[in-house]
Amino acid sequence: MDQIDILSGLRVDGEVYRIRRERPDYVDGAEICREAVLSPNHGFGLGPALRAALAARMARMIGRNDLARSYELMLEEAGAAEALTAIASAAELPKHQDGFTAAIVRHADLVTKTPRNNTKADIERLEAAGLSNPQIIALSELIAFVNFEARIIAGLELLEQVA
Amino acid sequence: MNTSRFKVKALSWAPYIEPVDVASATEEQLAAMQVTPSNTKVSPYVRTLAHDPESYVARTKLFNAIMYAKGGLDRAERELGALVASAVNRCVYCASVHARRYVELSERADVVEEIYVRGLEGPFEPKIQAIVDFCKALSETPSKVTKEQTQALREHGLSKAEIVDLIHSAAIFGWANRLMHTLGHSTPVDGK
Repeated sequence: MDQIDILSGLRVDGEVYRIRRERPDYVDGAEICREAVLSPNHGFGLGPALRAALAARMARMIGRNDLARSYELMLEEAGAAEALTAIASAAELPKHQDGFTAAIVRHADLVTKTPRNNTKADIERLEAAGLSNPQIIALSELIAFVNFEARIIAGLELLEQVA
Repeated sequence: MNTSRFKVKALSWAPYIEPVDVASATEEQLAAMQVTPSNTKVSPYVRTLAHDPESYVARTKLFNAIMYAKGGLDRAERELGALVASAVNRCVYCASVHARRYVELSERADVVEEIYVRGLEGPFEPKIQAIVDFCKALSETPSKVTKEQTQALREHGLSKAEIVDLIHSAAIFGWANRLMHTLGHSTPVDGK
């Protein structure tokens, strides 16, 4: 069973688990994407600990504490500094947070909660905080992946429960 | 009988950041963009996302599986899932592409007219209503989708395998919208 099966509460002998295996491109594809955004070969200076902390924060914001916990475990393995633990907890950030990290966290929060309200000014804030173009894209893909994964889990969990 | 002649305009997309320049792209970026001597024209959004070729390749493969996999949910209904997510996230560009594809596949311009003119509340005919309600809730707040909304899909004839496809098509557009709508904006097609 993979993370999506477990967090969706799928039974290994159940119908939804079997259906997922009939779509191996979905199952493997989600895991390959997870690697690409959480622990990529080229991270462009956005390390795995920061990525895991952001993922935990977004999962919590979406209302999936179980998913957040899985990313916190990843964060602990990557070596959690105090500042990253604060990010993961989805709390308000301490005022002394550096501008680069603060801009990243702000963007992750906005694009998770209200992507419809995002504008060019939000990308300009990332640039002003010192993010390179590859960092902006890598961050955007990470944010979008966690939002995707949380929706897959929420949907499969319900499907497991209906007749 | 559906007599709607509602048309959604084709749009282009322009990024807020400088996209990768094919002439100075790395090997990995060229491979991700599938640039070959006979294929050097790459769209702005592919060049924008190619700044991170690893995630671009991984997501594109997953995206194609979800939208084009054989069997399971009707392709038109996958496009409807994509359209509903795009409407929730106000991704004008994605909505225009997938509204047009939905109409091509389903000939249901009336459904698209309803969504564009009056929004996602409907009323739609029962099966379409069930699909729209489910995808809208999943796109807005995943924790608020109800068992009843899921059961409604079953009652309108969707198999569990088809619902797995629908969940994926709405969710992958939660992803695509979060790229297209935040990294750039729609523009009129040149010369139109």
